[in-house]
Amino acid sequence: MTKKVTRFFTIADYLEEENWLREMHSQGWKIVKIKAPCFYTFESCEPEDVIYRLDFRNTEKPEDYLQMVSDFGWEHIGDCLGWMYFRRPADTAASEEEGELFSDNESKAEMVKNIVRTRMMPLVVIFLCSVLPNFFRILNGEYVGPWGAVFSVLFCLLFILYVYLIIHCGIKLKKIKDRYKD
Amino acid sequence: MDDKIRRIYVPMTESGFYILYCLQTPQHGYGISQQVRKMTAGAVNISAGTMYGALSKMEKDGLIKFHSEVEKRKLYNITELGEEVLSAETARIDRLYRNSKGEYLG
Repeated sequence: MTKKVTRFFTIADYLEEENWLREMHSQGWKIVKIKAPCFYTFESCEPEDVIYRLDFRNTEKPEDYLQMVSDFGWEHIGDCLGWMYFRRPADTAASEEEGELFSDNESKAEMVKNIVRTRMMPLVVIFLCSVLPNFFRILNGEYVGPWGAVFSVLFCLLFILYVYLIIHCGIKLKKIKDRYKD
Repeated sequence: MDDKIRRIYVPMTESGFYILYCLQTPQHGYGISQQVRKMTAGAVNISAGTMYGALSKMEKDGLIKFHSEVEKRKLYNITELGEEVLSAETARIDRLYRNSKGEYLG
């Protein structure tokens, strides 16, 4: 039996996503497919405590990396929007580090920096170059007529969404990064 | 060793030091992590992502080089520059250790 679940996680919510997938598995639902931006397909299974980990690699997904991760005992489930999904049964991890993809603070912080650089920055640039100028044009009443109204509402919604995403992700990613500072 | 390398690697992270030390003989990532665990009686565990990142970075900076490929696993070994960094680090840690025992070197 399979079930599809729609749930949205921002780029700053990957720790919650890991916990959620683990929780689902312990209830007898293992993830089989992740489709952008927020569609998850689960398959019923024996309830089990399985650790889930996400790794952000926006560039290439090198063969030798997959080989190494599998040597370390991880199963590669799939990729989605630059995220790689891995899992391993909790009882195969003898130490805390074995249950992690990154064992020191430097490499944990490096992944957060990578998310900020390649995901957060484009968001800010689009906001400053497109959403914000259009928002000011709307405030000036530059868009008129029925289409102008539709456009105005659309851009106002977009404006709110962007402000929310930038504040939410910015604060959260900074918090995560600060945790890894020595 | 130029200033940039010195700034990045002296001092270096604990994982970095063990990885560089182990690559005095050619090895792949998982092999290194096994050896480190043995050497430290399980006190130091290096995870897959940390290992991969460290190897990529050290290769880019010329501390280690690609040695061969065995069953899709890349083996690396230390370069001359890597040995230079390793001995600078070993000297630093040795000083640290002797000072921590109350020894004065000067």
